[in-house]
Amino acid sequence: MSEYGVEIPNVVGMPPITAPPEEPHLPPQQWLKKNLFSSTFNSVLTVVASLVILAIVRGLLMFVFNPLRQWNATAVNLRLLMTHAYPADQYIRVWFSVAVLLILASLSLVVWRVGSRIPLPDLGKRLLIMGSAGALMTVLAPFSARATVIWLLISGLVLATGLGLRQVDEERSVGSLTLAVIVGAMGVLSLWVVPFGHHSYIAQRTPRILAEPGTVDMTTKLPWTIMLIIAVTAYALGRSLRERVPIKPARTSLVLAWLLSPLILIYIVLRDPMFDMGHVISTDIPIFLVFAILGSGLLLWLAHPHTGEIGRIVAAVILLVGFGTFLTPMRMVIRILIVLLALFALAAPSFSGEKRARHRYACIWVSLIAILCWMVTAINTPSTVPVPGEFFLGGFSLTLLVAFFTLLVSFPLGVMLALARTSTMPIFRLLATGFIEFVRGIPLITILIFFSVMVPLFLPTGMAMPEITAVTIGYALFASAYLAENVRGGLQSVTRGQHEAAEAVGMTTVQKTVFIVLPQALRVAIPPLVGQTIATFKETSLLYIIGLYDLLYVAKAIVPNQTEFMGSTRENLLFVSIIYWVISYSMSKASQRLERRVGLGER
Amino acid sequence: MTDSQTEETSYGADLRDLSNARDMIICEGVSKWYGDFQALDKVSATIKEKEVVVVLGPSGGGKSTWIRCINRLEQHQEGRIVVDDVELTNDLRNIEKVRSEVGMVFQQFNLFPHLKVRDNVSLAPIWVRKKPKAEAEEQAQALLELVGIPEQADKFPGQLSGGQQQRVAIARALAMEPRIMLFDEVTSALDPEMVKEVLDIMKALARSGMTMMVVTHEMGFAKEVADRIMFMEEGQIVEVGTPEHFFTNPTEDRTKLFLSQIL
Repeated sequence: MSEYGVEIPNVVGMPPITAPPEEPHLPPQQWLKKNLFSSTFNSVLTVVASLVILAIVRGLLMFVFNPLRQWNATAVNLRLLMTHAYPADQYIRVWFSVAVLLILASLSLVVWRVGSRIPLPDLGKRLLIMGSAGALMTVLAPFSARATVIWLLISGLVLATGLGLRQVDEERSVGSLTLAVIVGAMGVLSLWVVPFGHHSYIAQRTPRILAEPGTVDMTTKLPWTIMLIIAVTAYALGRSLRERVPIKPARTSLVLAWLLSPLILIYIVLRDPMFDMGHVISTDIPIFLVFAILGSGLLLWLAHPHTGEIGRIVAAVILLVGFGTFLTPMRMVIRILIVLLALFALAAPSFSGEKRARHRYACIWVSLIAILCWMVTAINTPSTVPVPGEFFLGGFSLTLLVAFFTLLVSFPLGVMLALARTSTMPIFRLLATGFIEFVRGIPLITILIFFSVMVPLFLPTGMAMPEITAVTIGYALFASAYLAENVRGGLQSVTRGQHEAAEAVGMTTVQKTVFIVLPQALRVAIPPLVGQTIATFKETSLLYIIGLYDLLYVAKAIVPNQTEFMGSTRENLLFVSIIYWVISYSMSKASQRLERRVGLGER
Repeated sequence: MTDSQTEETSYGADLRDLSNARDMIICEGVSKWYGDFQALDKVSATIKEKEVVVVLGPSGGGKSTWIRCINRLEQHQEGRIVVDDVELTNDLRNIEKVRSEVGMVFQQFNLFPHLKVRDNVSLAPIWVRKKPKAEAEEQAQALLELVGIPEQADKFPGQLSGGQQQRVAIARALAMEPRIMLFDEVTSALDPEMVKEVLDIMKALARSGMTMMVVTHEMGFAKEVADRIMFMEEGQIVEVGTPEHFFTNPTEDRTKLFLSQIL
């Protein structure tokens, strides 16, 4: 109050532009007193909470470092947990895929300018906290005397570094990415020097576990070293090119690369497909060419501003033909292509315009059907990588695979369902509402079981669908119902005024939706959408129940059943939970960043 | 605030003779109900090309509903509305045609918050008028210059003041090169010191020969710019006349009551 009394007379002419009073920087004792021990009740609470936390930490440490724990079960089976039965002699394919993803990640860091400067004293503070926490945990943990000394030494080293950095000038800072590289390099270096042990599982006629003292196997440390070098090199290269490449096309192509790379990595690199060239040349390529040439010709004509009414009639006829093809025996891909062409044709007048706009529209069509045709061909081509069991991937890669494809399918589907549910056309509204409410009323596991067991039985003769495909489709349908509700929330947040403003300048419904309503709705829906994405990722673990070799299955059912590692369930579960947590937490972090970014323009 | 400045201005109607101009907007017996409430009650009026009509009246009198019917943001249930020789029916093509001929500016600006100011203005010309992008952006820049804020083109609407946002909204409507402009209480949501900058643009627009329908509470603007003033109450047009007639010598009792309350 008193501030106001002083300030007001000065305010009249010109508001004084002064910085807010600086928050006084409290020394630790005072900070503790102010925040943790301000009253009797607060002090009691602090003490009790600290004791509880200490007990929990101690319990966890006792569990982790108990000599009874079979951590070598996890170490020996790392490859099994990551890729299940993928053959070791073909592992270069896996490393190649990891390298591609790392390069994409590095380039994304460059293009989206991720990374901030951390002032060295701040870093020192964090190291201090980490060092003290480490020392505390060392004291609590049931280590042998030697291990205790080693860990105390390490904690002391961290503490000392922290203290040293605290003294450094406030101005000096370090990039967060540099820091990440340093940490990564230390991790990789530790593979070469620290005697983690030499573990491997030799699956011969009588399986044998190899566990020797020493550093980790060459097949582990060498690839990781190369991966680190590749990632850093890609970043450095991208950094040097950044100023010379226009930013917007670079971003678009990176997003496309992210979306397309799994399709290529899985179906070409990891699977090494054996293409039936005769079939590809006689059927697949001609189908694609016919639709690409005739389709883009048609779309170019439809998107011409002067085409007018006749275009809509043609589009409607194609749609009818598309639905008609389902009544006659025909290749599925042709039916889908015709229906897709009809949808493109119907939307064409909304995106018509000058030559460039029309060409862009045709290009989108051609690239979309190229991907579609490629996928159909790739999926129908048998693999040459010899793998026991039905599917060639398992473990963590299967988890990632199912999550990726589920999200890839369910996002567009969810947006379309949400639009249909809020549409003014009763038939769309009815269908969408019915679908969403039906799917949301069924447990996910029921849907997964249905798709894995029942769907293959209903397929027409001659058509086979791998179980994993059927299950992914089912999961995508399930996820899309939830995503649709999240998007609908976003759609409702777009005000009536926005609709009216778009209508008042003469936009068609399609234009209004694409340019005005959806961008705003999706922006609002980011938090729930990310929540749903995380849930979708984690719930892939239900694949365990229908017997697919996902990460949880390997950890829970395979490893603990190996003769050498009987009952190592808890170790593996803890390891698996850490993997799930790391991925989910990074998604959550990325979404916070995204929110801040898109929130900039709004305010 | 602006009233005091324009106290001495001559009345707009003296300046031009529009009797030979062609009809731009024809309303015949237009009625509309919201549930049981009748918002418009047999509204009939004809607006000539290049005419500036100001619609006055108390809140809830149907002014906004009426002008929103003219570009079909609201649907009338009886009667007929013809805009630039196109009758408004349920036919979507007619509606889209009319909407691209009729510009509208709203009380709440309704700029697209996720687009930069320039894109706000050029979006519709590119996709509805099918203009080449470069040309549309050039035009957007010219229009922003016209409304006096060319330097804001790369900002987002949320970074502008209310008056600036409303000027962008006017530029956005003008970018479609409309033949008619509708203004729905465009200054009501503005701080008083920003009202003038918006009204000045509207005056310039009126002088340039745009056909305009303006719903407003700015009496000064009505006096100075209007060719005709229509007074609406309870969904009916109660009185129509030149500003001089309307402000100095109104015939209807309801008009007199309204004027006595606001002047």
